[in-house]
Amino acid sequence: MRRGNNLRHALVIAALLVGLFCNAAAAQVRSTIIGPGETQYPVAVSSLKVSGAPAVRGEQFADVLVRDLQLSGLFRVIPRQTYIESAQTSGVEEHTIQFANWSVLGAHALVNGTLTVTGDQVVVEARLFDVARRSQLCGRRYRGTLEDLPRIADRFADEILATVTGERGPFDSRIAFLSTRDGRFKELYVMRANGTELTRLTQSSTLNLAPSWGPRGDLITLTSYRDGDPNLYSLSYPGGQWSALSSLPGLNLGGGFSPDGESLVTTIEFDGNSEIGILKPDGSIQYRVTDHWAIDVSPAWSPDGRSIAFCSDRSGSPQIYVMGRDGRNVRRVSRNGKYSTSPAWSPDGKRIAYASRSRGGFQVFVVNRDGSGVHQVTTEGSNEDPVWSPDGRYLLFSSTRRGRTHLYLSDVAGIHQVQLTQGKGSDTSPSWSTWVD
Amino acid sequence: MVMRWVGGCVSISLACVLLIGCGASDKDALDDGTGLDEQQLGGRGSLAEQQAGTLGLPGSQGPLADIYFGYDSEELGSHARTTLQRNREWLESHPDARVEIEGHCDDRGTIEYNLALGARRAAAARNYLIALGVSPSRITTISYGEELPVCRDFTPECRQRNRRGHFVVFEK
Repeated sequence: MRRGNNLRHALVIAALLVGLFCNAAAAQVRSTIIGPGETQYPVAVSSLKVSGAPAVRGEQFADVLVRDLQLSGLFRVIPRQTYIESAQTSGVEEHTIQFANWSVLGAHALVNGTLTVTGDQVVVEARLFDVARRSQLCGRRYRGTLEDLPRIADRFADEILATVTGERGPFDSRIAFLSTRDGRFKELYVMRANGTELTRLTQSSTLNLAPSWGPRGDLITLTSYRDGDPNLYSLSYPGGQWSALSSLPGLNLGGGFSPDGESLVTTIEFDGNSEIGILKPDGSIQYRVTDHWAIDVSPAWSPDGRSIAFCSDRSGSPQIYVMGRDGRNVRRVSRNGKYSTSPAWSPDGKRIAYASRSRGGFQVFVVNRDGSGVHQVTTEGSNEDPVWSPDGRYLLFSSTRRGRTHLYLSDVAGIHQVQLTQGKGSDTSPSWSTWVD
Repeated sequence: MVMRWVGGCVSISLACVLLIGCGASDKDALDDGTGLDEQQLGGRGSLAEQQAGTLGLPGSQGPLADIYFGYDSEELGSHARTTLQRNREWLESHPDARVEIEGHCDDRGTIEYNLALGARRAAAARNYLIALGVSPSRITTISYGEELPVCRDFTPECRQRNRRGHFVVFEK
């Protein structure tokens, strides 16, 4: 947070490839990994071999990596206490690693690396090996500061997923959500995608609703009653500076910036009737997209910015619809259930996740954008407000399955579901940023 | 509790002072007479009550009675219409009073949909009062969706109490 911006640049620019590469095509494991939860690939994650600062814990990087790999549902991480090799004395390259000492543990893959500390600066060289073939699958060198170590681990986790599945992982990103963990009102919090580095962004002591990341991850739009009425604001990230976006009479609710950042979509009100409107970035109305006596609410941009999914009760009950950004070609997408809301578009634009009432509570469903191929993702408790990870592999949503409302992560098929937030209060209304860089 | 409402009618700022000052004595709150305004204290009506921790406590009703709605509906039933007629009479005899109608919902919908539904409920009540002859300029609306329940049980009775139109009176 504090020096985040500078460090981010330093880290990104210096993520050099010097003799280190990630060869997705070479990954034999790829054919065995179909999707999260289906096959859990056994991997050992060694601590980094530290030089230059004995006080720095080489485990920190490994701890983050282990958490990410477990959250991914693609891997079974072999417990560190069973490792035969010592991180500080063992070799870290193809020709110096004792692969037999890893294969005997059942590891099909091994992660190791080095951490060189010079003052505040660190260089991490991280590698992924195929244990059976005794060959390196992926290697990366990162330069940053000590503070960047968790983020470097997240980035390498994303590389590992890219290597074994062909698609980058989602971990170098952030999640914003509302929580009552510190008091009566829903305040805005931000954490890294794996649930760590939780920070509180607002101290507003009023109603806050429907946060949504801007397309560059440098702001969050949200509706707040901080000036008495439900108006739309933008909150800078990480600074937390408020600026007013829209304060039309009545509702200025939810939505957010278009993928190109040139327009805002939100719910506005005309004499009690909610409609979808498109605003200029300064908050002035560009045009009204819907014009219908029914409730129209919860607009969500398609990733190409050409279409908008929304919820309307024009058929007599709330259902999901899709339309062009000009309001034409309105088509109903949800068919199941009597109450379907909260649409979220997948990053590839092909599917829409939404919440639909089922036996008293809400469940998360995914449907193709043309309304075909619907499938149910959740079954336990009540599950609301689904959003997609930037890689489109996972859904994040609030769930009451273990009592309090917390955020849960699931692969799209619904096989691997894990709790991401804990603690007091309720955690609701998540928004998942795109990748940080 | 009567004092709280009377204060609420004196002026907007006092309404908030008294609502916020519920933990302290009313006298203390009144002594702090300068520089307070509605916005600083972050709200009015149900939101101010929520901020003061008094929402849902007995006695929070003003001179105008709440009206209640069916599930996922903004339709005014006969009971609601009768209440609105009584509320119109009160407004007629208090020509300086303004009213803000709050639309509220139970917990069963989703947050954004319920905000839209609350807006429809508030507008339905407002339009009915206008049809009964109340000047539109005296009535504003605000939706709180399911955000400010007066009770938190998952019973039909509690949910009915939350599906309400609440009237907050401001007098000059």
